[in-house]
Amino acid sequence: MTMMRIGVPRALLYYRYGRLWEHYLRNLGADVVLSPRTDEGILAQGLACVSSEVCLPIKIVAGHLLYLKERVDAIFFPRLDYLYDGLYACPKMIGIVDVARMLLGEEVQLIAPSIRGDFTRAHLRAGLAFNRNPLRVWQAWRKAKLEVRSGLISEDIEKPVQAKRRVGLIGHFYNLGDEFIAGAIKKTFEQNGYEIVTKEALPEGVLLNRSGFAQNIRWVYERELYNAFEYLLDRVAGFCMVVSMGCGPDSLVAEFMRSRAQERSVPFLLLVIDEHTGTAGLVTRVEAFVELMKRRQSGRDAGN
Amino acid sequence: MRVGIPYFGYDTLALKGFLEELGADVVLPPPTSKRTLEIGVKLAPELVCMPFKITLGNFVEALENGADTLLMAAGARKCRFGYYHYLQEKALRGVKNDFKLVPVSQYSASEFIFRLMPGLFGVSPVKVMQAVYRLLVKSALLRDFRRLLNQKRAVDFAAAEQVKGTALRLIEQARTVGEMKRVRLELHRLLGRNGKIPVVRVALVGEIFYTIDQQANQEIEKELGRLGAEVVFERCLYNHLRYLLHSDFGYQRSRRLAKPYLAECPGGEAIRTVGEAQYFVQQGVDGIVQVFPFTCMPENIALEALQRISEKNKVPLLALSFDEHTSNTGLVTRLEAFVELLRRRKNARRVFGN
Repeated sequence: MTMMRIGVPRALLYYRYGRLWEHYLRNLGADVVLSPRTDEGILAQGLACVSSEVCLPIKIVAGHLLYLKERVDAIFFPRLDYLYDGLYACPKMIGIVDVARMLLGEEVQLIAPSIRGDFTRAHLRAGLAFNRNPLRVWQAWRKAKLEVRSGLISEDIEKPVQAKRRVGLIGHFYNLGDEFIAGAIKKTFEQNGYEIVTKEALPEGVLLNRSGFAQNIRWVYERELYNAFEYLLDRVAGFCMVVSMGCGPDSLVAEFMRSRAQERSVPFLLLVIDEHTGTAGLVTRVEAFVELMKRRQSGRDAGN
Repeated sequence: MRVGIPYFGYDTLALKGFLEELGADVVLPPPTSKRTLEIGVKLAPELVCMPFKITLGNFVEALENGADTLLMAAGARKCRFGYYHYLQEKALRGVKNDFKLVPVSQYSASEFIFRLMPGLFGVSPVKVMQAVYRLLVKSALLRDFRRLLNQKRAVDFAAAEQVKGTALRLIEQARTVGEMKRVRLELHRLLGRNGKIPVVRVALVGEIFYTIDQQANQEIEKELGRLGAEVVFERCLYNHLRYLLHSDFGYQRSRRLAKPYLAECPGGEAIRTVGEAQYFVQQGVDGIVQVFPFTCMPENIALEALQRISEKNKVPLLALSFDEHTSNTGLVTRLEAFVELLRRRKNARRVFGN
C-alpha cells in the first residue's frame, strides 16, 4: 500500500504548530506534503476564489489549499474554535475550514479536527483516522512533541528585554511568520540595527496573563498580543504593529494599544497590509519610523 | 434619568416603549444623517466596522439632546460587536464627560432582569419581566408591520408610504397588550394588498444591524419595494429576543439548514444568514440580497456559503457591503439591475418553462 499523501498548507496556524503537525503526521505513517512558501502565484490563486473583503492571510491560505488540491489525497487543516479559558479564535479562522471544504469539493479529503479547548484531544482523535490503534496514535503524538521540543532553540527567552535598540513587533504569527507578508518589514528594522521582539519570544506566563484590561479580550491571540504589548511597553524603543486590512479583532485592539502608547509617549506605528501593499511603501514608512525612534532616544539620552 | 439609545430600525419604538415603561425618560437622537456618520467616522478607529461608527454618532447626538445615561448592547463573543462599548465610551469621553454608558450584556437574561434593570431604574424584577413581555409583543407587532409594509410597497408603493406614518404612530401609542392586538387588526386594514400579488420576492439576509436598521442600509426595503419586489426577512428584534431567551425555533431551523455549509458557528449571525437563505430558497424566493458592513468577519464567511447556495439552486445573489463611502445612487442602480434580472428570469421561466 502506498503511503497516504497529506498536505499541510504553509499558512495560518502552520506558523505556530506546523513543525508539530509535520512530525505527528510522519510518525503516523503519512507522507507529508508541505505547500511552498507564499509567492505571487499562490496569492493570485487565492484572490481568485474567495471574497475580496476577507483579510490577506485568509486569501493566502486559500491559495495554499488550491495548490495542494491537485497534489495530495488529503489535507490536514485543524479548526481552532477556542483554546484555554474559552477564548475564541477569530470568526474567519473558524470559518475558513468550512470555506476550505467548499473550495476543495469532493475529491480531496479534509482532515479538520475541531480544537475546542483541548488541543491534544483534537489531534489524537484526528490521528485515529490514520491508525485505529489509540496506543500507536498516542505514541506518535508523544514522539512528535519530544522531537519538536528538542529541536527548539530556547536561548532568547530568559534574556532580559531591556536593550535600547529594540522594537516590539506586534502582529499575528501567521503574518509575521510569512516572509511574503512581513519579510520586508523585519529586514528593514534589522538593517537599521534594531532588534525585533515579537510575542513568540516572551514567556508563556506573560502572554496568558488575565488581569487588567486583558481579561476583557475574549479572542485568544488578541489577548496574547495585548499582554505582550503591555509587558514590552517600557522595555522597547517603539512598537510597530502589523495588521491585515479587514482584520476585525485587531481593528479594535490596535486602537487600545495606540492610545496606551500615546499616554506613555512610546512611538507607535500601525501598518495596515493587504494584497496591494507595495514593499517600497512599507520600507519607507518603517525607515521614517526608525528615524523617529532614534531621535526620541537621543533626545532622552541628552536630557538624562 | 434621561436615557439615550442608538437607532435600531423600526424596532427602536419597541425599545423606547420598554424603557419608558420602566420609568426612564428616553432621549432619541435625531434620525441618522450624514452628520451622524461624519461624527462617528471622526471619533472611531479607521478600520472598525460601520455599526460602531453609526451608533457612536447616534450617542454623540443623543448627548447633545440632553441624555445623561447611554445604553449599549454588549456581550463579548466572537464578533467585534461585544467590544464596542469599551472604545465607544473612550471616544465619547473626549467629547463630553458627565454621562454614564451602561453596557447591557445580551447573554444573561437573569442578570438583565434581576440585577441590571432594577439597579438602573429602581424597579422590581417583576415589573421588568412584565415590561419584557410587552417588549416581546410590541416587537412582534413591529415585525408584522414590516412584513405588511413590504408587501404593500411591492403592489402599491405610493399608498404604502402614505399610511406608513399613521401606522407607526398607532404602534407607538399602543401600551397594553390589548391595544397592541387592536393595532394589529388596524394594520391589516391599513396595509391590505387588496388581493394583488407582488411580481418578485427577494429575501433579505445579512448582519443584524444592517438588515434591521433602515437608516443604515439606506432604506433598501423601500427601494426594492419601489421597484416592485417584496422583501421577505427573518431578522428582527423579536426573533433576536426570542433567541436570547433560548426559544427561537427559527434559529434551530437555520442551524440545521446551514449545517452542510458551515459545520461550526463562526460567530455573529453567519449561521442565521446561511440558514435563512437556504430556507427562503426552499420557499421559492426569486433572489437573495445580503447586506453587511464592510469587513464584517462572520458575514464574509457566510458569503462564501451563500455563493454555493446560489449556484446550486440557481437563485441570483446580490451581496452588498456598506461603508461610509457607499453612495445611494450606486446602491439604487445595483438594486434596479438586480430586480430587472429577477423579473426577466421569471418571465422567461413563465414562457419557456423551467
